[in-house]
Amino acid sequence: MNEELDSQLSAMFDDELPPEECELLARRLSRDEQLKARWGRYAVMGAVVRAERGVRLNAPLAGRVSAVLLAEPALGTQSLPGAAQRAAVRWWQPLAASALAAGVAAAAILWLRAESPPAGIPLSASVQLATPAVGSAPVMPASASGSVGRADSYVVPPSPGVRAVIVPSTELANYVVAHSMFSSPVARRNLLSAFMTSEPTTGGAEEPQDDAKSTAP
Amino acid sequence: MSADVSDLSLVRRVQRGDKGAFDALVLKYQHKLVKLVMRYVRNPAEAEDIAQEAFIKAYRALPQFRGDSAFYTWLYRIAINTAKNAVVSRDRSPIEYNIDRHDNDESYDMQGRMKDSETPEGLVLTDEIRSTVNAAIDALPEDLRTAIVLRELEGLSYEEIAAAMDCPVGTVRSRIFRAREAIDRRLREVFEGGLGRAEELG
Repeated sequence: MNEELDSQLSAMFDDELPPEECELLARRLSRDEQLKARWGRYAVMGAVVRAERGVRLNAPLAGRVSAVLLAEPALGTQSLPGAAQRAAVRWWQPLAASALAAGVAAAAILWLRAESPPAGIPLSASVQLATPAVGSAPVMPASASGSVGRADSYVVPPSPGVRAVIVPSTELANYVVAHSMFSSPVARRNLLSAFMTSEPTTGGAEEPQDDAKSTAP
Repeated sequence: MSADVSDLSLVRRVQRGDKGAFDALVLKYQHKLVKLVMRYVRNPAEAEDIAQEAFIKAYRALPQFRGDSAFYTWLYRIAINTAKNAVVSRDRSPIEYNIDRHDNDESYDMQGRMKDSETPEGLVLTDEIRSTVNAAIDALPEDLRTAIVLRELEGLSYEEIAAAMDCPVGTVRSRIFRAREAIDRRLREVFEGGLGRAEELG
C-alpha cells in the first residue's frame, strides 16, 4: 500500500491532517475496504495501549452496525427537516409571485375600468388622450346630399370593430351635432370642421374646443 | 490543527448519503463506546448491544448534527442516554430484557449476541491481540514507542508531543506512523491468521 497514503491515514486518525486532505481521504476511506481495515486496526492498537479491560477487541460490533444500516435509507436521500422546509418555500415561491402579479394586473384593469367614463357621458380630456385615433370615420353632413328644407342632421358612419373606449368620441360628435341648432351656422361649421380635423391627429380633446372657441363669435 | 476535523469530514459524507463513512466512525469509536457503556452495565455482551444501539441512534440522528460540538462528545451523550435507558428498562423487566425480548428492533441481534458473546475462541483472540500489540510496542525503538504512547495513552496532540520530545511536528507524525506500521504488521498476522476473524474488523 502507498506509504504516503498510510501516513495520511495515521494523521487523520489522530485528527492531525489538514481539512482539505481529510476530505479527500475520507472519501477514499469510505470506499476502500483495505484502508478501512487498517483504520480499524489503528483503533485496536489504541484500545490495547489504553488497556481497555473488558472490551473485546475482536467484537463484531462494526459489522453488526453496518448490517443493520444496510436496511436504512441513506441519509442523503432523506429530506432533512430544514431542507424540506426550504424546498417547500422554493416550490411555492414562484406560484405566489405569479399569483401576486396576476392580482396586481387584475386590480389595475378593474381600476382602469372604474376610472373610464361610462357610455353616454362625453369623453373627458384625459380619456380622449388615451383613445387611439379614429380619423377614418368622418362626420358627414346629411345636408350635403342636397336635401333642402329639412333640419340639419348629421350621421356618423358606424364603425364596426371599434372598441367601447372609442364610443365616447362618436357620442361627442352626436352631442355636438344635436346641439348645433342652438349655434350659428358659421360657428357650427367651424366647430364641426375643427372637431373632424382634430380627431385623426394626436387626439387631444382640448384642441378642437380651443379651435371652436377661437372661431366662435 | 483543529480538533475533530477528520470526524467532521466523515460525518459530512454520511450526511450526504455515504454509509461507508459511518463504518469508519464506528471502527474508530467502538472500543471507547463499549468501555463507556460498561460503566453502566458489567456484561461486555450487553455493553456491545447498547453501544450498537447507540451507534444506530446516532446514525438516525445525524441529520440534526450541526457540528457545534465534537462528534465523539455528541456520540458519547447518545451512548450514555441509551445505557441509562437500558438499565432502567432492565430493572423494570429484567426477565423480558434478558430472556424473552421479542421486539422488532433491528439493532437487537440476539442471534449474533448468543453466537459471539464470551466464546472461548473470542476470549483467546482478544488475549492474542492484546499480547501481540504489547509485544510489538515493546519491540519498538524508544522514540517511536514514546511517540505512540504519548499519543494513544496520554492523548497528546502532535504539537504537544513535539514539544515534549523536542522535535518537529513532522517528525512526530512520521514516528507515530512508523510505530503503527510496525505494530500493524504483526497485528495483521493475527487477524488474517489461523483464527480467520479479520472480517470482523472490516
